[in-house]
Amino acid sequence: MFAKQGNGRNKISIKQLTQYALFVAVCLIAGYLENLFIVPVIPGVKIGVSNAIALMLIYRGDKKGAWAVNITRICLSSLLFGSPMSFLFSLSGGVASTAAACLISKTKNVSCVGISIASGTVHNIFQLIAAAFFIGVGIIYYLPILILLGAVCGAICGFLAGCFTKFKIDKIY
Amino acid sequence: MKKGDIVIIVSVALAFVASIVLLVSFSKQGNRVVIKQDNKIIYDDGIVINNTVKTEHNTITIKNGKVYMSHSDCKNQICVGSGKIEKKGESIVCLPNKVTVEIK
Repeated sequence: MFAKQGNGRNKISIKQLTQYALFVAVCLIAGYLENLFIVPVIPGVKIGVSNAIALMLIYRGDKKGAWAVNITRICLSSLLFGSPMSFLFSLSGGVASTAAACLISKTKNVSCVGISIASGTVHNIFQLIAAAFFIGVGIIYYLPILILLGAVCGAICGFLAGCFTKFKIDKIY
Repeated sequence: MKKGDIVIIVSVALAFVASIVLLVSFSKQGNRVVIKQDNKIIYDDGIVINNTVKTEHNTITIKNGKVYMSHSDCKNQICVGSGKIEKKGESIVCLPNKVTVEIK
């Protein structure tokens, strides 16, 4: 039954599935630890280390995997630590940032840090749009600071993703 | 650091500057007129609503997004002379009658 899975067109191999599950687990732990230890500059702001993993997948060319890991990560982390509202915010940000990263990674001349800066900024902008939709337009005053923070956090994430990319995960198995 | 990275960093920086400029110009536009008599709010409404507010000694006119003191029975007439206000934070004060008009 399981052996057949690798042959199907839309099915992924068990090895890959396990890898993705592992990535999601690492993302969740990273997000949780981040919430515990890093004192936010502004309430609610965090670096988003878990995005580095999706970014690494994108940079390797595995866009489907990145989408799968990111969406699963968002659903699970909201289920575990968040509220319905935070789910909507992170979903809007996550979808937008992954789409942006996918689009930008198509151009050749960009490094991991560049992709990450762009996707971090887009993440924050779309999250703010979602927040403006649900909370009120007044929140739009956070836009400049969020663009700046998105870029800075994105740069950190991109650097981490660059480190992960060099790390040969396939050799563990 | 590749070429594309610099393009991205520059465009993010531009977006940052643009958002600041946009918000600053946006926030200057006041949206509420607050009139106080003896430090008590007697009128609080949108600036887009044309209205004439009469207090005991003063008349304040709100017209086409601009607010001015159209009449005052005080001696110095500074409030009438201070002209029209339309931006956030601007105010007209009539000290003798203890009336303030502020845009918030």
